[in-house]
Amino acid sequence: MKNLSSLDRVIHEPARLTLVALLSSVKSADFLFLLKESELTKGNLSVHLTRLEEAGYVEAEKTFRGKIPHTEYRLTSKGKSAFEQYRKSLGSIFNKE
Amino acid sequence: MNVQIDTAIKRTRAYWFVDGFTEMAAGGFFILLAGILLFRWNTPLTSSPSRFLSIAGEISIAKFFGLLIVALMLWWLKDHFTYPRTGFVRGNRVTTTQILTLIRNIILFLFPPIFGLLALSLLIASAGSVLSSMPVWFPIGVALIWAVLCVWAGNWMGLRRFQIIGALFLLAGIKVGIWQYAIGLPATAENMQAGIFQPATLEILYRSLTSLGILVLISGIILIISGFVTFLRYRKENPTPYSEEI
Repeated sequence: MKNLSSLDRVIHEPARLTLVALLSSVKSADFLFLLKESELTKGNLSVHLTRLEEAGYVEAEKTFRGKIPHTEYRLTSKGKSAFEQYRKSLGSIFNKE
Repeated sequence: MNVQIDTAIKRTRAYWFVDGFTEMAAGGFFILLAGILLFRWNTPLTSSPSRFLSIAGEISIAKFFGLLIVALMLWWLKDHFTYPRTGFVRGNRVTTTQILTLIRNIILFLFPPIFGLLALSLLIASAGSVLSSMPVWFPIGVALIWAVLCVWAGNWMGLRRFQIIGALFLLAGIKVGIWQYAIGLPATAENMQAGIFQPATLEILYRSLTSLGILVLISGIILIISGFVTFLRYRKENPTPYSEEI
C-alpha cells in the first residue's frame, strides 16, 4: 500500500502518462503530434499539458513556422526523472510478491 | 498499461519512418551506389592502383552528394507533407557517448562472429579457396549484417516491416551468393603470390563487387517498394493537412 501511495499522481493519470511517455523519447514535439498520438481532444490535451507544465514536468516553446503559430513541448529534467521514478515504482509494486 | 506506454514510446521513435520517405530516399541512394558499382566496374580490369583509387573516390563523392541530396529532399518533403498532417517531432541529440557505445556494441556483437567464421573457414580450407569463394560469402555476410541491423531497429521502434526488410535483405544476399556459386567460382588463388592486382585476385575482386552491386540494387528496390507502400498507407490515413490553427 505504501508503494502505491508513493506513485506520482501527476504522471499516474493515463492521459498525462501517455503524454510524458511520448515526450520521453524525443527532444520535443509539437501540439499536433501529441494530439494525433494521444488521441485526446484539443481541449483535453491543453488541460493535461497545462497540468504537466504547472508541475514543472513539461515546458512549452512558442514559435512561428511561417505565419502559423507553433508550440513545441519538451520534457524538463524534472519531468524525465519523475517518469523514470514512476516506472521504477510501478515495477517494484508488481515485482514485490 | 506498461505495454501501451512502451508502444507509445516505440511509435514516437518510429515517427521518422511514418511516411515512407526515408525508405524511398535510402532506396534511391542504394540504387545510385549500385549503378556505380555495377557500371563503373564493368570495364576491362587493369592492375593499376590508380583505377581502384579513382572508383573509390567516385563512390565517396557519390556517397557525400547522395546523402546531402537525400537529407535536403527529406527535410523539404517532411516540412511540406508530413509535419502539416501529423505534427513535428525533434529527435534527441545524439551524444558522443551514445555514438561510442553504439560503435562498441557493433564491434562486440558483429566482429567476433565474423572473425570467428573467417578463422574457422581458414582452419577447414586454405586461404586461397576462402579468397576465391569471396564472391559467394561476401554478399551473404553483408546481407547478414544489414539483416541484423534491420531486425534490431525494427524491434527498437516496433516496426514489423523493418524485420521483414531484414529478412528480405538476407534472402537477397543468399540468392546472390548461390548465383555466384552456380556460375562457378573464380580460378583458385592457391598459387598466387603476394600482391592484390594479379589477374586471379582481380577477378575475385570484380566478382565480389558485382555481387555487392547486385545486392545493393535489390536492397534499394526492396526499400523503395516498402517506402512507397508505407507512403500510400500514410496518405490514405492522413489525406489532408490538419486544418485548424494550432
